[in-house]
Amino acid sequence: MLEINDLTVKYQTPRGALPVLEGINLTARKGEVLGIVGESGSGKTSLALAITGLSEGRLEGSVQFQGEELLGKSREEWERLRGSTLSIVMQQAGEMLTPVLPLIEQVMEPFLKKHPRQKDEAFRRASAMLHKVGLEEHSFYRYPYTLSGGEVQRALLAMALIAEPELLILDEPVSSLDALSKADILTLLEELTGECTVLVISHDLSTIARLADRAAVLYCGSVLETGPTASLLQAPRHPYTRALVRSYPSLYGLKELQGIRGEFPSLGERPGGCPFHTRCTQALEICAQQRPGTVEKEGGRNLACHRGGVVELLRGSGLKQRYALKGKGKDPYLEAVRGIDISLDEGEVYALVGESGSGKSTLGRMLAGVDRPYAGTVSFQGQGFFQLSPAETKKAKRDLQMLFQNSGEALSHRMTVHELVAEPLFIQEVGDPQTRREAVRRALRWVYLPDDEHFLNEYPHHLSGGELQRVALARALVLEPKVLIADEPSASLDASVQAKVIKLLLQLQNERGFALILITHDLALAARAGDRVGVMHEGKIVEEGPAADILRRPLHPYTQSLLGAAPSIGGANLAATGMPSPAEPAVAAAEGPNGKPACSFSPDCAHSCEECFRYVPPLVRVGFQKVACYRYA
Amino acid sequence: MNKRLLDYLLALLIILTLNFMLPRLMPGEPITAIYGDALVEMTPEMKSHLLERYGLDRPLGEQFAVYMGNLFQGDLGYSYYFRAPVAQVISGALPWTLLLAGTSLLFSTFLGIVWGVEAGWRRGRKFDRASLVTAMLLNGVPGFVLGILLLLFLGFYLQWFPLSGGASPYLGQEGIARAADILRHLFLPALTLTLVQLPRNFLLMRSSLLGVKERPYVMTARGKGLRERVVRYRHAVRGALPPVVTRVGMSAGLLFTGVFFVEVVFAYPGLGHLFYLALQHHDYPTVHGCLLLITVCVLLFNFAADLFSIKLDPRLRENARQLLGRT
Repeated sequence: MLEINDLTVKYQTPRGALPVLEGINLTARKGEVLGIVGESGSGKTSLALAITGLSEGRLEGSVQFQGEELLGKSREEWERLRGSTLSIVMQQAGEMLTPVLPLIEQVMEPFLKKHPRQKDEAFRRASAMLHKVGLEEHSFYRYPYTLSGGEVQRALLAMALIAEPELLILDEPVSSLDALSKADILTLLEELTGECTVLVISHDLSTIARLADRAAVLYCGSVLETGPTASLLQAPRHPYTRALVRSYPSLYGLKELQGIRGEFPSLGERPGGCPFHTRCTQALEICAQQRPGTVEKEGGRNLACHRGGVVELLRGSGLKQRYALKGKGKDPYLEAVRGIDISLDEGEVYALVGESGSGKSTLGRMLAGVDRPYAGTVSFQGQGFFQLSPAETKKAKRDLQMLFQNSGEALSHRMTVHELVAEPLFIQEVGDPQTRREAVRRALRWVYLPDDEHFLNEYPHHLSGGELQRVALARALVLEPKVLIADEPSASLDASVQAKVIKLLLQLQNERGFALILITHDLALAARAGDRVGVMHEGKIVEEGPAADILRRPLHPYTQSLLGAAPSIGGANLAATGMPSPAEPAVAAAEGPNGKPACSFSPDCAHSCEECFRYVPPLVRVGFQKVACYRYA
Repeated sequence: MNKRLLDYLLALLIILTLNFMLPRLMPGEPITAIYGDALVEMTPEMKSHLLERYGLDRPLGEQFAVYMGNLFQGDLGYSYYFRAPVAQVISGALPWTLLLAGTSLLFSTFLGIVWGVEAGWRRGRKFDRASLVTAMLLNGVPGFVLGILLLLFLGFYLQWFPLSGGASPYLGQEGIARAADILRHLFLPALTLTLVQLPRNFLLMRSSLLGVKERPYVMTARGKGLRERVVRYRHAVRGALPPVVTRVGMSAGLLFTGVFFVEVVFAYPGLGHLFYLALQHHDYPTVHGCLLLITVCVLLFNFAADLFSIKLDPRLRENARQLLGRT
């Protein structure tokens, strides 16, 4: 068992001692594979070197392996430990093997050190190990400078394993390799690590996901989050982990890649307090002043965040809305939203999809605090929105902005651009005319509109559709809200302008760090923009989950049919890949208790059964998705 | 390998040609240039004998053929000062020079390497800084000054070592006693020469090691738990040595210059001493003979160093193979 307690590593520089690692606490049980994820410069390699006694920095704290304290060991003791109890495979950095000694001789060395006289045995073992890692006999006597990167990596692995270590440290074991050798070596690693405790260090999330049982996220020398790898990567709780996962391209996610806003701080300019606060979207004052302690959370997760991880900003519970019908019938009301629970995290993009009339906009208006729900509550930053005093409501509305459908049309044609964009500032009584003008200009620059006097005095009817949409966006952003609810922000625009507006919206979301609910009827757009996607059908959310999962494995028949019908111009429709398309209902439509089928989709569903017409299917959790369908209940 | 040998043979040929041409390019008859002052003492018979034997009155091409022919028979001419064939004179002195040069080369190379490695490994620490200063100081002192100083203190004042010569004459010692006597005489000149060459080897080894010390493979070697000494000498030095060996080989010329001065200072009976005497007495055949032998020595030396560094570094081997277009 490896136990690292409060480990600090400082490097002596001309500008004083710079801490590379601060207060690291990690444990790895026997036989466990612990992954360390982090960007370059986060201190991953320093950690590996500290554990193997190769660090040139000043070390404080404690590193214990099998109860034995490793820090403060003498050079001789380290030489005894390395290559017998623990082995390290260092990060590829050019000449990893001595170029002038034949490969196999170098692989034999660790064994010969332990058993100096058994040269034959050493040779036998080294050949066996080299075979195991997939090197051919003809390579054994080659000089390392004639070997490829993959072959060197294999040889290094063989060299580390020949000592039969109890602790194996792998520093970026595959990052210098091409995709195929990478897959090869990863398979090999899974096979060979076996009994020993492994510490695998990588910036590459897929390597960690593949190898590690548990993972720790390292940022600027601090561990921000630890937990079982699957849950850590699928449901990250620390804002940094979430941002890191978001930045990672995957074959299944269609979401546009967005980097983490801001720049990775250099070693000399590390921010005080929580190291991530300069780039975090939910940082408070305390984040800049104090280092957050590590708190244990359920599910074996540990989190170092003053705010307890990603904060929930907005929540709607049991939301219902109905509109009175003018005509006469059994039911005098149109139930637009029929009981919805929805939440939005800090900095998140939630894409709400559904066909027209499914109640998306109604839901958006309630969440934005524009309309009061008929039943249910909306809470913003933990406070019931409709229970607030008028003054508090006004304040809350500063942080909660809505971009209406056809927002170009929603702009008054009697007001100039400046008046339109400045209006929210005026209503909220922010600043004096001078600062308001500055704020207007800044907001216009964000949306790439001109900010000169001429444009400020322009009237809406002189602007194009795309420009109008951007003026509306500037108007929504001028107060720098924490949440933006954008209702079909691009629906009425031409395709090329549409793309621009959406790109702009997402870019601003990443830069300014607001949370976004994007309401759209276009599943392709939703998948491309959203972290999470919610699918609405007739006033209910029938499926919700990470965008990639929804696309890869849509659970609800309605989502499946939406995917099948997703607009495509290449002809390679997703329907062709085996998704069921809308089909005839399997069971003849029957009347439900209210004269309506209980599952709103059942009349069109290929999988519907009698149950579907009787009861309302509850929203149940399947993996990281939630679905309301009897087939999963 | 053959290509290299050919290169060296070509170099040898050029040197021989130069050696042949130089005296003949001087104004006047070749015989004047070759024998100089000795001519005055010669009888006409001797003169014509020389002219005939070395073909000095024939066309240049024939002269060259005769010159080469004589050379292959080991005939380097006749020394009038020593009254003996040059080859004989030189072969009496050569062993002493080889002994002196060999000893000092061995020690200066070995010590220089070890010193350089140990200092370079501790770069910037006290030992390294002190070593660097010492080496710089030592490097600034010319060999003959150093020789005279050593002679003065260890030989003259302390009387630990003999002042001159290669062995005590007229003692008629045999076996071990004679060997010990030779070693006692060898000590001061060899020490001087070693000290002269040491700083260069030290600096070379040190800087070469510094270039290798931070390489990833040194870290790999340390990471697999090898003892520090093994990391240093098996992994780091192996990679750092070839340039040092090449440079040591190339500095053979300097070595002989050093040998010459030191031999003169200590009146050591080697080539240098001989050369000095011959030069003083305008014994040109001997001077030429010495020069020729030394150039050949330097060539041989370079060749050996080449072979050795190729053995040390497989990359150079590969290079040599590629030059030949073979695999």
